[in-house]
Amino acid sequence: MSIVKYKKTAPRDAPLSETTFIGWLQKNLFSSWVNTILTIISLYIVYAVVKSLWFWGIQDAVWVAENRRECFAISKHGACWAGVLIWLDNIFYGRFPRDELWRVNLGGLLLVLWMAPLWLPRVKDKIFIGLSTVFLYPFLAGYLFAGGDKGIFMQVMVSGAIVCLAGNTLHSILGVMSGRGLPEVLIGILRKENASDGNQRNTLLVILAVAYVIAYALQTSWSVMAVPWSKWGGMHLTLVISGIGITSALPGGIVLALGRRSRLPVIRVLSVSFIEIFRSVPLITVLFMATTMFPLFMPEGFVLNKLVQVIIAVCLFSACYMAETVRAGLQAIPKGQYEAAHTIGLGYWGMMSLIVMPQALKHMIPNIVGSFIGLLKDTTLVSIIGLFDLLGMLRAISQDIPWRGLHHEPLIFGAALYFVVCFVMSKYSRHLEVKLSAGGER
Amino acid sequence: MTAVDGQETQAQLASAASSEVIIELNEVNKWFGSFHVLKDINLTVHKGERIVVCGPSGSGKSTLIRCINRLEEHQRGDIVVDGIILDKNLKNIDHIRSEVGMVFQSFNLFPHLSIIENLTLGPIWVRKVPKAEARDIAMSYLERVKIPEQAEKYPGQLSGGQQQRVAIARSLCMNPKIMLFDEPTSALDPEMIKEVLDVMVELATTGMTMIVVTHEMGFAKTIADRVIFMDEGDIVEQNEPNEFFNNPKSDRTKLFLSQILTH
Repeated sequence: MSIVKYKKTAPRDAPLSETTFIGWLQKNLFSSWVNTILTIISLYIVYAVVKSLWFWGIQDAVWVAENRRECFAISKHGACWAGVLIWLDNIFYGRFPRDELWRVNLGGLLLVLWMAPLWLPRVKDKIFIGLSTVFLYPFLAGYLFAGGDKGIFMQVMVSGAIVCLAGNTLHSILGVMSGRGLPEVLIGILRKENASDGNQRNTLLVILAVAYVIAYALQTSWSVMAVPWSKWGGMHLTLVISGIGITSALPGGIVLALGRRSRLPVIRVLSVSFIEIFRSVPLITVLFMATTMFPLFMPEGFVLNKLVQVIIAVCLFSACYMAETVRAGLQAIPKGQYEAAHTIGLGYWGMMSLIVMPQALKHMIPNIVGSFIGLLKDTTLVSIIGLFDLLGMLRAISQDIPWRGLHHEPLIFGAALYFVVCFVMSKYSRHLEVKLSAGGER
Repeated sequence: MTAVDGQETQAQLASAASSEVIIELNEVNKWFGSFHVLKDINLTVHKGERIVVCGPSGSGKSTLIRCINRLEEHQRGDIVVDGIILDKNLKNIDHIRSEVGMVFQSFNLFPHLSIIENLTLGPIWVRKVPKAEARDIAMSYLERVKIPEQAEKYPGQLSGGQQQRVAIARSLCMNPKIMLFDEPTSALDPEMIKEVLDVMVELATTGMTMIVVTHEMGFAKTIADRVIFMDEGDIVEQNEPNEFFNNPKSDRTKLFLSQILTH
């Protein structure tokens, strides 16, 4: 028996339900009576919510007023955004002196400038740029925010940060323009392309040293007035605490995770108990412990300010959570990768830093961003122990005499702010995940 | 199968082995938990010798060669590689591992690095070879395994046979004294087995000391100086290939050969 089709079948147009909007509507929203009723009910709920939000939040809202009484006088049923708007500076900067706000803005701007090369094409040595952001930027920003007298240590670190920032920026501009790195260009200018590796390295080190001396000389004549930490607050404080927590969580988490997988029992037991203790306690408990118990263990006369205590607590807490994320990432790496690294003679640290970690970090990106988002939100807890972070500032509005009792509007504003930041972060992590897995690298 | 013209290769291969001992296993025993996987193994390998290890699965042949670069730790007996006793001394182990190349069944290339980076990683970080020089060495080995045009690609973009050839080149870049192959063709499609075996035969003609765990009996006949048959943790029989295949002595060997050669 043979079945033969001699003619080719020509393609025909798809049915309307596959290609038109009406078809889509019918297929997905009105396919049966039950679905139609559900669709109509849902649409009505959405309409009702949006309508009342619109009238309360925008149509009847008051944007300019001196105090809450005036708000009521203008519109009885609308939101009173005037209070939020007048407090806007406080919400973002806390009680930072108003003449010094440029320092906070400059700090943010420098961070953008420092990290922007990571997203630019054709820039080389991005790992170095990332590391320098983590290890040097905090000192520069820290001095900008705190100000006052620079100790010798701060002087050294701030000059290092300035040199690094200048180098990074030049390097990235050159990279985008010509695809070459700063060291390459410098060697080219000095006509040392053909010199030995050692000679080239020494030349670069001399240039670096000269740049450092210049930066050091420049920064000695530059200082800004001191702002005590108790004046920090609002969004700024939230970002400082969570930023430090986030940047220290990753290295801390990696160390703890490696410790947990160590073959030496003492290190393993120590890491496991450290991780488990912090993970089994809520953050608020850790914060109370840090601010009330920690000083008891310190020698007499050793006083840490509350902010530093809080930051230490947040760092330890987030490092422990990160350790579990890192551990999961490490477990996703097949045993063969470890063995292959061994057989080409790499030792433990070479294997971890060149082979295992780069692959594991890629697996971990969604989880890392997830815990970063979590940490950003968790830092609102510091308002409970008396720091005026974003949430603290929002609640303070209702205590302010002209705006007494204004609870809803600031909190809704805060929720919107958090939503925007967290949503952008999670979208970006999704994008990163897709990009890395589609990179043709596996 | 014969990977290259048999007679010619045999002539090139003759008398490659010297009298210098490069690996010595003395009463080696290993247990996985309570399971006794290697039992009183004695083995002497001379420089330039090519040894094929065969046997049923679970017979301990992979474990044997993995003990030689201490991917597995043996519990009793001594293993001496290139004059160095393998013990807890980590420095010695790292040194031995850089002298002993290993090729795995599942290739184990580093997926996050390009082919050329896979090859230069060891020379640059372990041997401290300057980058440009490491690159030249890597390219010369890629040419030897006949895939220089793949240098900038990533392992995931290559076929299995190409990946395995890269893995061989990666080991060779470390300029090893000994090469261990752990079933290098078992995970490959039939048409790719030949290209990998060709590379291995070519390597054999250079006088490299090789220990190969494989089921490719044609390959064993072509290049081996000695065939070792293992079963249940024992070295049951070892002989030069002609004798081994045509005139096996023990019943276990006969049974094994009858099972694999009937197809």
